[in-house]
Amino acid sequence: MSPDRALAISERLVRQVLRDHRTLALMLAAPSVVMALVGFSFADQPAILDYAAPALLTVFGFFFTFVLTGVSFLRERAQGTLDRLLATPVGRGDILVGYLLGFLLFAAVQASVILALTLVVLGVSHQGALWEIFAFLMVVVVMGVNLGIFISVFARNEFQVVQFIPLVFAPQVFLSGILLPVEQMPGFLQAVANVLPLKYAVEGMREIMLQGKGLSGVTSELAVLAGFAVVLLALASVTVRRS
Amino acid sequence: MASEGASGAAIEARQVMFRYGRLRVLDDLSLQVPGGTSFGLLGPNGSGKTTLIRLLVGRLKPHSGSVVVLGEPPSPRLCQQIGYMPQLSALYLELSVQENVSFFARMYGMASGGERREAAQEALNLVGLWERRGDPVLRLSGGMRQRVSLACALVHRPRLLLLDEPTVGLDPELRAAFWGHFNAELARGVTLVISSHTMDDAAHCQRLAFLRDGRIIAEGSPEALRAATGRANATLEDALLHFVRAGGAR
Repeated sequence: MSPDRALAISERLVRQVLRDHRTLALMLAAPSVVMALVGFSFADQPAILDYAAPALLTVFGFFFTFVLTGVSFLRERAQGTLDRLLATPVGRGDILVGYLLGFLLFAAVQASVILALTLVVLGVSHQGALWEIFAFLMVVVVMGVNLGIFISVFARNEFQVVQFIPLVFAPQVFLSGILLPVEQMPGFLQAVANVLPLKYAVEGMREIMLQGKGLSGVTSELAVLAGFAVVLLALASVTVRRS
Repeated sequence: MASEGASGAAIEARQVMFRYGRLRVLDDLSLQVPGGTSFGLLGPNGSGKTTLIRLLVGRLKPHSGSVVVLGEPPSPRLCQQIGYMPQLSALYLELSVQENVSFFARMYGMASGGERREAAQEALNLVGLWERRGDPVLRLSGGMRQRVSLACALVHRPRLLLLDEPTVGLDPELRAAFWGHFNAELARGVTLVISSHTMDDAAHCQRLAFLRDGRIIAEGSPEALRAATGRANATLEDALLHFVRAGGAR
């Protein structure tokens, strides 16, 4: 593992996105517009919005990072730059860490914008500290980056990446307790929900935002999420050399 | 540092077989490329040229047989001594010419900014693009992108160049310029392996291998291959057709 190579890859990613103004604008505008639409539609029911906001923040953070990383990594494969990169002495770890660092930066900016919109503009109340909400969201985002890299190996074009969205997200959105508490679902669905990372992400974020728990109060959720992130990173690492 | 094998060959492939699924792309292929020479892999599309180059650079592994490059099996460490130019220009379009070359210099282990700038300047001077170093690759023509791609392969001063159809789509003037760059590399002792399906490239190489359906059907110097046709004025195209019709006598 070479820190300089990983850093070079993340710097390159940041430069590429910064020069693609449309992507940059969409990256910030899309989640904000969606969050604002949801928020304003519940403007007269602040209690419902307060309950839904932690789940929405989590899902949007995960979803947008996954799509961005998946498409970006796929483009790297399709344009042949990944093939060329892998014909240099660079290691798989350098590439994965480089991607993770680069996208974490944009994910952090994106998360800050959505958080600011949710808490300041929409006026959603929160019990937990802002930095702990943000830190928890970053753990969720790391999972999104790793999942994006992993999924990109199974898609040959951007269109196919989009096809993975319902496959990867629909079960999680329906079963992670966003629409209906997990405890109220049939037993077999609860069993499925228990192996979905978004369930733990939503639960953890709710505990921080609604119950005022700190990161130390959601260690079990953090441990599960970190476990998923490590497994996805390992899977991404295995698949990164595939062409 | 890796060196040529005991035979003095920069590349030795023995009875290599590679397949995609059930399709055998390379079949019982053996090859020796002497160090410091230019070696052309000639054949139609689908004959296995790109697969062979990807095996040599370590991007693929043979299902059977062995590949030795600069005295050792291909590995990420060995890539330090190989300059690889893929068929696609494989550049970061949003980045400038110099940023692309510098990025690959950094991937080849040049950690200091000064060293990278010097190496990028040298490589870009060689392909005549230093004056355009600030232009985004997105705005360059296809021929210019090929030149940037070549600069990325040359930036770390490799001992072996593996170039996959580097002159495809280039006009005659630019192709001549490319061969000028290749000859300059040969003059400093670099081994050059180039895949192509044009006879113009073949004529520049010191040794050639004709590939068809994943097998080498003929190998030798351009003169020897032409002479094998038994015709006084035979071209390399005639030689290729001769060996194809003869069913691959070697």
